[in-house]
Order: sequence, then C-alpha cells, then structure tokens
Amino acid sequence: MMEEKYAIEVKDITKKFKVYYDKGAQLKEKLLFRGRNRYEERWVLQGISFQVKTGEAIGLVGHNGCGKSTTLKLLTRIMYPDAGTIEMRGRVSSLIELGAGFHPDMSGRENIYINAAIFGLTRKEIDERMEDIIAFSELDAFLDNPVRTYSSGMYMRLAFSVAINVDADILLVDEILAVGDANFQAKCFNKLREIKTKGTTIVIVSHSLGQIEQICDRSIWIHGGKIKAEGTPREVHPEYLNYMGEKRQEIAEKEQARKDQDQPRKDREDHENGDSADAGGNKRWGNGFARITRAELLNAKDDPQSVFVTGESMTLEIHYQVKKKVEDAVFGIGFFRSDGVQCYGTNTRIDQLAEFALAKDGCIRVKLNHVDLLPGEYLIDLAIESEIGIPVDYYRQAVKMEFYSLLQDVGVSRVDHEWQLDH
Amino acid sequence: MKQLKELFNYRQMIYSLVKKDLRGRYKGSVMGFMWTFINPLLQLLVYSIVFGKLLPNNTIPKFYLYLFVGLVPWIFFSSSLNVGATSVIASKDMVKKIYFPREVLPISYVTSSLVNMLLCFLVIFGVMLGFGIKPGNDFHLSALLYLIPVVLVEYVLALGGAMLTSALTVYFRDLEHILGIVTMAWMYACPILYQLELVQNAMGRWYYLYFLNPMTPIIIAFRDILYEGHAPQLSTLVNAAVMGFVVLIVGYLVFRKLQKGFAEEL
Repeated sequence: MMEEKYAIEVKDITKKFKVYYDKGAQLKEKLLFRGRNRYEERWVLQGISFQVKTGEAIGLVGHNGCGKSTTLKLLTRIMYPDAGTIEMRGRVSSLIELGAGFHPDMSGRENIYINAAIFGLTRKEIDERMEDIIAFSELDAFLDNPVRTYSSGMYMRLAFSVAINVDADILLVDEILAVGDANFQAKCFNKLREIKTKGTTIVIVSHSLGQIEQICDRSIWIHGGKIKAEGTPREVHPEYLNYMGEKRQEIAEKEQARKDQDQPRKDREDHENGDSADAGGNKRWGNGFARITRAELLNAKDDPQSVFVTGESMTLEIHYQVKKKVEDAVFGIGFFRSDGVQCYGTNTRIDQLAEFALAKDGCIRVKLNHVDLLPGEYLIDLAIESEIGIPVDYYRQAVKMEFYSLLQDVGVSRVDHEWQLDH
Repeated sequence: MKQLKELFNYRQMIYSLVKKDLRGRYKGSVMGFMWTFINPLLQLLVYSIVFGKLLPNNTIPKFYLYLFVGLVPWIFFSSSLNVGATSVIASKDMVKKIYFPREVLPISYVTSSLVNMLLCFLVIFGVMLGFGIKPGNDFHLSALLYLIPVVLVEYVLALGGAMLTSALTVYFRDLEHILGIVTMAWMYACPILYQLELVQNAMGRWYYLYFLNPMTPIIIAFRDILYEGHAPQLSTLVNAAVMGFVVLIVGYLVFRKLQKGFAEEL
C-alpha cells in the first residue's frame, strides 16, 4: 500500500515499444507473411522507480529519447507500463498537449467548458473557475469569438489557462513555457511557483535546466531507460552537463575523423590543381610560403578537446610548414560565432610580440585563459602574415569549438560581475 | 467500482460531447438543427406514399406506421454499432494526447444517437396525433410510460455493442466494414419489415431461436406500445433486459482490457 506522504509512487516500471520493420495490418498480409511480420522490441524504460512526496516538485532530465517523456505519458495514464506499478494520489492535470479537444468553430467560452470537462471538472466546478481562467488568459475581449479566429499564441494562452486552473493535486508538465510571448511566459512561470507553494505536486520534463533549478526540489536524470542520478538540481545538473559535454566531444571527434578521411584525397586534388594556396575556395588564401598544417584545442591536461564549459581555460596549438622563409611573421587568431558574429580577434603584432622569422616547420601555442564565450558553436580563423601585411596563409574556420554552461545568462560573452545590494 | 465513480466525475465531458455531436451534425447547413425534425418527417412521408399507394400491404394495416415504429429503434441500434465502432478512432488526437476515461467516447456517441431517436419519435407522434391518427384502437397515453424501460434496455444493449465494437475496431480496422454488412443482414433477422407470424410458420419448433436476437424483443415491445397501443408483455421485457445487460458487461470488460493499448495502437 502507498504511504500517505507520497503523491506519486512509481515502482519498477518497464515499457517496450514494438517497432515493426514492415507492418502489414491487413488480413491477407497477416496470413501470407506470418513469418515476415517481424518487429523489434525497443525497451524505452527498463525499470524505473521513484517516489514523489506530496507538495514536492521534481524535474526529469535526459537527452532526447532517453525515456523521460514516456515516463510522463505513463504517469498521465495515456499509456500503460508493461510491468511495474504506478500509484497516483489525487486529481491529475497535465500541461502536455495543450488544447486537446478544442473545437475551432466554437467560441472561447464554450471551449473552456469542453476543455475543462476533459480534465474531469463538473459544470459547477468550471463555473467557479471561469473568472480565474478568463483573467489569466487575458482574452476577455475575444471570448465569444470562435477559436479558429485566434492566433496560435491566443490559442495556447487559453489552453494553458484552463489546464493550470484545474486545481489539480498533481500537475504534470512537458516542456513548459513555450507558450506565448515573454510576458505571458513569465506569468506562467510565476503561476507555477504559486501553485507549488499551495502544495501541488509537480513533475516537469524539460530541456531547460534553468527552469527546473528554479522550481524543482529534486532532479532525476534518466538515461537509457534507467535512472542514472537523482538528487538536488545543483548536484545532478553539473553531472548531466558534463556527460553531455563529453558526448558532444565524441560526436565532434567522429566528425573530425570522417573529415580527416576525406582530407588526403582533397590534398591530392589540390596538388593536381597546382594551386595549394587558394585551396578550399575563399576559405583559404595566401602566397603559400608557409602553411598551417594542423590546429587543435587542448584542455588543461593538454588533451585535445573541442567542447568546453564557459569560463574554461584552453590552449590553441598551431602546427605549420615552411616552404620559403618568411621574415617578420605575424600570427593571428579570430573567434566567430557560428552565425558569423566576430567575438574576438588579435594577432602577435597587436599584442606587441617581438618580431620573428619562420625558417623551418614548427608549432606555436596560444594559451587562452578563462574563455567566457556563452553556449553555442564557435569557429576560429587562423592567419600567418608577413609584417608588411602580405597574407602568407589565411585559414578561415580552421577550428571548431563548442561551449555549454550551467548558467542561463545571455549574450555573446560573459562579463565578470558581482551584484552589490544597498541594505 | 473506482472506475465507475471516475466515469461519473466525467459526466460534464459526456454532456459536452453529446452537445457537440448533436450541434455539429448539421453544422453549416441552412436548416441547421431543424434537420433533426425534418428528416424523420420526410422519411415518414416517403414510406406512406410507397407502402400506402404504390405497394399497398393488405395484411398489415397502416403499414407505413408499422415499418416506422420498428425502423427508428433499429437505426439507433445499428448506428450505435456501426458509427459507434469508429468513436475511439475518430477521437484519436484526444486519446493520444490526454487522459480521460476512454469509455466516455462510446457513451457519448450512443447517448447522442439516443437523443436523436427520442426527438424523432417526438416529432412523428406529435404530427400524427395532430392529424388525429392514433396507434391502435384503444390507445391510452399511459401506454407511453412503458417506453421508459424499453428505451433504457435498448440503450444498455446499444452501449454494450458500441463498447465492444469501438474497442475492437482500434485493433482491427476491417471490423468497421464488416459491421456494415452484419447490421444489414441483422436487420432482416428482426421483425421490422414483416410480421412475427411469418417467422413462426417458417421456423416451427425452432421458433425460440429467433428470440436469441436481442433486438427482437425490443422491437416487439416498441411495436406493442406505439403501433398496437398496449403494454408489452413482461416476459418480452425481461428477456430483452437480461440480454442487454450481458452484452453491456461483456462490452465493458473487453473495453477496459483493450483500452490500455489505445494510445500506442492509434
């Protein structure tokens, strides 16, 4: 039996989906190709157990396809687990598919009745909530117009207002706050907090860790159909982000490996064209006296890495080949965000390094301390120039890197700061 | 028990779906909801011309009325099976997205068909009584009271049938088309177009088998009340009620079992 203090108790649930290779639903096909009607069983959940206390808010995190949305669907009873039990205490409302059952030809007011009825409210209960619903949706002026005349934002606002005013004991939320404009989103967010302080149990599935951190007491990280970690958001999220970072690193390496495979062939083509300096269209140019052969980013341990946390330090290593001596060489680097915004650029002349000549093959390292670029993909341009400005080797988008962050600050780069409150 | 209580909590949803269905049926037509009244009247007109003037039936007096009284409850039942079968599939967007007791869907459909049938009867008998045409020779309005249990029993039967077919159709779509044929044949197995004596003569001692058809006693009861103008026999009613509840219980159990897979199957 379920303990009184738990609102939700999930015990060892498993769920599999049948993925048909070629589904023949007709009798003829079923009889003729009985052996051929094969399917693969994909286990989406492989034994998940957790409890949620009454009044507690938990967040489910995990990468796409990890099973967190399936878990939520099982909680709503849209689907049922293959094994294990789920017990829920009290009325359940969900902010999952908003506006299910809306009838476009009926007015906003009629749709409130229809939609609220789907949540199991009686007419009397709906009448009691009507004012709150209308006030929250900010749609009083349009309430008697048919819903088909609404903009998609208005539609979602109405749907959200109904769902959130059900006064459920348990609220299930999938990817909140993708609703309406910034103002309405803030309002939804505040409403969610208010509901939480009233003692409603909340389960949220979201990719926005920031939102979960702000509302939830606990995070559950689901990975491959199992619970990988559980604890306060502050404990679980860094672990999760680090894992995601490593994962992206792997993907980036694989991509690089694929490119490297293509590279020799391309180099050969370049030679056949007899113009090595202008290879790669306008991505690379220069007189070819020296040439950047390889460039990579290294982490603090000097291991190659391409995904970093905002604020991490790194080293950029540039290997070059010299065909003809370059007097008074200048090295330059430039950081660009993937949409082309230049974030930073400098070179050895700007930094007033003593002039030097390139006589033989070698390597130059740039230590980059506390790179505060905010999450996103960035590209680094590299250049070798002679002192008088003749391009020796300009290599655009030579290195790719990616940043992720635990914080939700916005912009291009973080500015080191500190708030001081005047008490 | 818990499920029935929950279903009761969702009564507002059933109510609003029934309303939506009744209003939506003739949405966009010029006459709108008036069609609910015009339709049966025109049907009656056609029957009275065809069977009164073109093909006069000498053995059954007022044959158009005889036919109509059997046909209206039959249409309610057959559409509950046929169209009710698609009630879950038709709402698949809702079923896949949101939780509610799925029984609401067949219940709403059958209920709105029931309302339609009642309106149909109301219109016809309003008009007929207005013209001074009475069913039977010694018709009393009190006979109409017997309609309540008869309609109730038919509702129970139709609901059981709709639950069964709507759940099965989700897994086996062909059922929808098979049902079209089955109900057509089934209609001729009910005493709608002919008199019971005919069957009695033809089947002899196997006559009781004819009453295994749960719609037979129901149609007989309707005819007793609305055509003959007297109370139906108690045994007829009990017979129909027992079969109706058996079908409902079986239908409900099958529905409960199958509904767990609806969201994945749709």
